[in-house]
Amino acid sequence: MQPKNKVSLIARLRSMRETRFGAFVPVLLALAAIWIYFGLAVPIWDYWGDPDAETLRFIFLSPRNIYNLFMQSAVIATLAVGITVVLLLGEIDLSAAATAGVCAALLGVLVLMDVPAPIACIIVMVLGIVIGAAQGILVAYVGIPSFVVTLAGLLGFQGVMQKILPTGNLNVGDPFVRGFARVLLPDAMGWALGILCVLFFAWTILSKQTQRKARGLELDNKVAVWGQIAFFGALVLATVATLNSYRSVPLLIVLLIAITAVVGWITTSTPYGRAIFSVGGNPESARRVGIDVKRIRVSAFAIVGLMAAIGGIFGASRFGSVSYTAFAGGSLLLESIGAAVIGGTSLFGGRGSVWNAILGALVIGSLGNGLDLSGAGAADKLMFSGAILLLAVAIDAISRSGTSER
Amino acid sequence: MSQTKHSMGPMAPSPHLRVSGIHKSFGGVHALKGVDFEVARGEVMALVGDNGAGKSTLMKVLAGAHIADEGEFFIDEKSVSVNSPHDASDLGIQIVYQDLALCENLDVAANLCLGAEPIKPGFTFLPRLLRPLDDLAMEVRAQEAIDRLQVKTLKSVRAKVGGLSGGQRQAIAIARAVGADGTVVMLDEPTAALGVAQTRQVLDVVKRLRDTDHAVVYISHNMRDIFEVADRICVLRHGANVATWTKDDVTPDEIVGAMTRGLDSEATNAA
Repeated sequence: MQPKNKVSLIARLRSMRETRFGAFVPVLLALAAIWIYFGLAVPIWDYWGDPDAETLRFIFLSPRNIYNLFMQSAVIATLAVGITVVLLLGEIDLSAAATAGVCAALLGVLVLMDVPAPIACIIVMVLGIVIGAAQGILVAYVGIPSFVVTLAGLLGFQGVMQKILPTGNLNVGDPFVRGFARVLLPDAMGWALGILCVLFFAWTILSKQTQRKARGLELDNKVAVWGQIAFFGALVLATVATLNSYRSVPLLIVLLIAITAVVGWITTSTPYGRAIFSVGGNPESARRVGIDVKRIRVSAFAIVGLMAAIGGIFGASRFGSVSYTAFAGGSLLLESIGAAVIGGTSLFGGRGSVWNAILGALVIGSLGNGLDLSGAGAADKLMFSGAILLLAVAIDAISRSGTSER
Repeated sequence: MSQTKHSMGPMAPSPHLRVSGIHKSFGGVHALKGVDFEVARGEVMALVGDNGAGKSTLMKVLAGAHIADEGEFFIDEKSVSVNSPHDASDLGIQIVYQDLALCENLDVAANLCLGAEPIKPGFTFLPRLLRPLDDLAMEVRAQEAIDRLQVKTLKSVRAKVGGLSGGQRQAIAIARAVGADGTVVMLDEPTAALGVAQTRQVLDVVKRLRDTDHAVVYISHNMRDIFEVADRICVLRHGANVATWTKDDVTPDEIVGAMTRGLDSEATNAA
């Protein structure tokens, strides 16, 4: 009886993964598990274990902490979105964090030299694109494996960053740069944006459904359609409400979501995105239908470079400084690759989504934040992160082994 | 080459694609030595031969993947030149390689439209690669292609190719090759890795292609499949023609003999 049930559960998980929305479920479950553990289980355990405790204190799930959580995860998420794009191709980028570091350092120096901050930001983004495209050319045209190219990039750019910042640290006080992380949307505007997002989401789904009917195509399940809308609505509005109840929706989060929406749209709804998926799935197939595989590769690396530069700007904005350890020398790289993979993006290419990368970043961020709150040391954090990463990839492997081996 | 004519008889339909005197060398290896080949619309022409006989080379020459050293191409008896895969596909010549080259991570509709996705009108300010896909038009197009070939077992064009059976994949690869305006379809060992039921499905698709007035070139080693679908059978040996028969004039044993020994006996008789 039991094994039969188990098989059907895995089969159901597999069939669920095939739908576009279903791919979110594993990472959402992971996130829910972490939040329940740190948000509910740990406080209740403390309350019972400690007779002196007066009240239950849900620190982790307090609006203030969730606000911080979002801000902490934002830089990881930005890089993870970019890394997802190359992972879709079946390539990897180990240099993203170092690129972000170089870009952030250059931004700091430029601002210090009285270059207007918006221009400095554009220069830095162009630099990111150039760095990414250069690595992409080495991968696609010279034929060096991306692992090696970007490993060299990781080492080299760490050095470059140290050259730019001999002291290893530079404060960034420019109001424009700081503004990304500091500016808060007024409460009403946050609500308006959230509601607009939900309405737009509902409109696209429903209008697609009516068009399907008009063209005589098979229809989506009605429950699934409304379930998606309700779920998405609840998620967005709950986020806005939580952020508003502490401060309000920060500009950084809005920008992150907007950038992810653009990248997500490009990867799923344009011929270019299709080309990325097909190169990741079967490069030979892409080549035969006339897709310029090499150019697709280079452009994907350029996108990572751009996202790394944006991540660098966001990081400089949030920390108010550029430091070697915060970018190139720290754990940012592995956290952002981890975020992409925890989000369910395959390392072998062809499967994944940039939205999942954001959720993956939240998983990594929540884990670090929760362990910090419960007083765990750096060693515990590392071990837990490793375990979660392994668990996520294991869930991924089990849920898709059926389709990949046939 | 005279043998070809003599074995074919007067019944031979007028060819749609005809090549003559094809030579192709790879370094010192003379892979094709003046091969003639033709296929008519509404006909399945089987191309058989032992390993190394030049079937695949001939097929790649026809598809423009290899460029012939010598030889002439005719479409409906008009001389044409094929110097790249692009030329071939412009002439409606399509090839389905043995490895199919489908993207398992994409659904059927995406695979069928890959590289030529329909896009929504407007958005002219964007480069073509970044304009929004019209995924509904894509599904409609895919559904039409599937219906044309009558792939009955395929439930939905939104199914991922990774979850399909071998026969269904072969059918989808064929549907993609045929597209809207393919006229000559070449199939390389389409049933080599398939079971009985799957083979049946593919053979049905091949027949369906013939019924829809396509010219089909069918490469296979399996005599049973060949005698089931082929109208004519062309035998190659050592990079040259042995003979071309209409199916009813020949037995599988004769074909196997021609593949392995050529027509020595007949040749000596004639001399």
